[in-house]
Amino acid sequence: MKKKIFALLMGAVMCMSCMGLGGCSSDNNNSSGANSSSGANSSNADNSGADSDNSNSGAAGDSDWDYILNKGEVVVGITYYEPMNYFDDNGELVGFETEFTKAVCKKLGVTPVFQEIEWEKKEVELQSKAIDLIWNGLTVTEDRKENMAFSKTYLNNKQVIIVKTENADKYTDTASMAGTSIAFESGSAGEDAAKADETLAGCDLIGCSAQKDALLEVKAGTADLGILDYTLAKASIGEGTDYSDIQIIDSVELASEQYAVGVRLGDTETLAKINGAIDELAQDGTLLDLAKKYGVDDIYAL
Amino acid sequence: MSFWEVTKQLADGFGVTLMIFGITLAASLPLGLIMTFGSMSKIPPIKWLVKIFVWIIRGTPLMLQIILIFYGPGLLGLEIKLPRMTAVIIAFIINYSCYFSEIFRGGIESIPKGQYEAGQVLGMTKTQIFFKVVLFQVIKRIVPPMGNEIITLVKDTSLARVIAVTELVKAAERIVTLKGLIWPLFYIGAFYLLFSALLTFLLNLAEKKMNYYSI
Amino acid sequence: MSMRAEGKDNMAFLEVKGIEKSFGRTEVLKGIDFSMEKGEVLAIIGSSGSGKTTLLRCLNFLETPDKGSISVNGDVMFDCEEAPYSDSAKREKRLHFGLVFQSFNLFPQYNVLRNISLAPELRQIRGRKLSKAEKKKIRADIDENSRRLLDTVGLAAKTYNYPCELSGGQQQRVAIARALALNPDILCFDEPTSALDPELTGEVLRVIRELKNSDRTMIVVTHEMNFARGVADKVIFMADGVIEEYGSPDEVFGDPKSPVTKAFLEKSLENI
Repeated sequence: MKKKIFALLMGAVMCMSCMGLGGCSSDNNNSSGANSSSGANSSNADNSGADSDNSNSGAAGDSDWDYILNKGEVVVGITYYEPMNYFDDNGELVGFETEFTKAVCKKLGVTPVFQEIEWEKKEVELQSKAIDLIWNGLTVTEDRKENMAFSKTYLNNKQVIIVKTENADKYTDTASMAGTSIAFESGSAGEDAAKADETLAGCDLIGCSAQKDALLEVKAGTADLGILDYTLAKASIGEGTDYSDIQIIDSVELASEQYAVGVRLGDTETLAKINGAIDELAQDGTLLDLAKKYGVDDIYAL
Repeated sequence: MSFWEVTKQLADGFGVTLMIFGITLAASLPLGLIMTFGSMSKIPPIKWLVKIFVWIIRGTPLMLQIILIFYGPGLLGLEIKLPRMTAVIIAFIINYSCYFSEIFRGGIESIPKGQYEAGQVLGMTKTQIFFKVVLFQVIKRIVPPMGNEIITLVKDTSLARVIAVTELVKAAERIVTLKGLIWPLFYIGAFYLLFSALLTFLLNLAEKKMNYYSI
Repeated sequence: MSMRAEGKDNMAFLEVKGIEKSFGRTEVLKGIDFSMEKGEVLAIIGSSGSGKTTLLRCLNFLETPDKGSISVNGDVMFDCEEAPYSDSAKREKRLHFGLVFQSFNLFPQYNVLRNISLAPELRQIRGRKLSKAEKKKIRADIDENSRRLLDTVGLAAKTYNYPCELSGGQQQRVAIARALALNPDILCFDEPTSALDPELTGEVLRVIRELKNSDRTMIVVTHEMNFARGVADKVIFMADGVIEEYGSPDEVFGDPKSPVTKAFLEKSLENI
């Protein structure tokens, strides 16, 4: 018995050290459900799902679709955050991604099971089959394509700069931000955006471990400005939150990125099914209605 | 969200924390004692197997062990699928059994040889010597290090969130991200503090009870 | 039966023959022969490392001799031909001997009375089907006997104290009472005063003297030359794993035959 556990542990240690190293270096994301990415500033706004579909079609034998059908349910890895996956006043799980997932699963005839995950372990969750899909405002990046396949892009996200309302007047463009301190999540698209801008790169840059920490920095006054995901920023600040005195600087726009569903690498069948269902939902207008319902129609990509 | 609502939500998380704590403690104490006998065994293979196992478990982070136990089987392509909470509890029990077994071993080995010999020349059996002479002295010696380990266990439960088990810290983090409230993150400190205070009180009581003699 | 009775007549109360014991390559006992009669007090003296403590531990089954035999009152306690003995056989046989340790080894968690009564109680109640009344009777008898022994060593006033509350001399007297509680044929002392402050040795030696007066058979390993000379009936001087000198105190201390004994005694006197 002990021998078995020992063997399993040793085996797993080796396995994990390989994967863990690969996974960590390409993903420095946080656990809070604020999903941004490194190197997200890709210019191809076209269908990246088709891209990865082609690049991974060699492993057709690895399809998990039968496995999912057998279970009758598909486990969807999420983190809770507004407006994607969150609880309404009745404690029901709602959100744009929640309803989107349910709509797609209905078309495919499987039951979605939403499983909260730690965001930085999403690749391991997916590969170990603890979850079947990542569907939670997942940004398409070249690094992540090493570990998963992406569906069609359905939203275009962007990075925004936040500031305390009382100081909002001081900043109208990036030039006016010279000499300030700026907080963002280390390794996020926000960091890339800051470093890509000549003025911002010269500022006092504060790398935090999570996007919500960047919010805290601004709130506490330890940073003048913060760079965040647009969707997250929109949902986190304003009336009724602890961040009601923080606002987005609308006049400055930074990098943009694409959201898609993450599928196990090589599982072309499931990927094709999901893409098909997304197409249908886009064509009959359901998806746009959902986007409007949750206030993300301004970044709708289909 | 009102203070009351937050408290209620955190209480759910605290329930999970207590469950991990309680089950781990209840299972690790006897299992640790068995492992102690293993590591003090006169049969070399058993002794070394246990010693190597304890070395591995104590030499790697509990967080890694939780991750391995939960994701390991799936990554190896096995069909075993543990529920998240089960994986956490298995990892905790294994980890804490090893730590407890080392504390037990230290306690047993710290009892002077003379105590065993006194029992022997008085015609006691090995079992009588262990239970009537040694055990009580071992308990007295291990209460302080045991107390440390138990208090550490309370706080270690927060590691369960690495595989997204919603214990107290995770419950607070969820409120932070979903409701935009910051204070619950600090409020949970009160839960930990109160619980540790209760445990400290009980441990002190145990220590006091055995203070009537010194070794 | 008659053979055996005859054997008893011819044999001394304690017969130790050809005891040898090695730890690894170190020969600690190189063939020990001696005997003693009932009611005698035997003192064993010698420098550290001469093997006297090992000899005492062999008698009490804390060490197993490699060779030789031990018999008490005609009954074989140990014979290297029969060894190894089972644990239960050892337990029975070692009860002929009692042992008082240099470092007392009292049980710290029990009070003085319990230290004395624990072993007899475990012994008389374990593995026997007894009614509650019978158990109560046994406990009462043991309790009474324990208190009497405590009185003998002059510590009745400390009945309910814990060992940590007693001086070294008092602890050693409790240890003596504890050893007596099982009423051994031969009571052994392993340097009973070596761990004591000089001013506390007197009370322990006084107890041993009193035990001699009540005809206890005793073997005392000691560094107290005056005590050995004054109390012992026979003295053994051990050196390097053998009995170098054996005889009455007057013979050993007054007129030692061996030069080794002479040298040792001279040195001991110097130290005093």
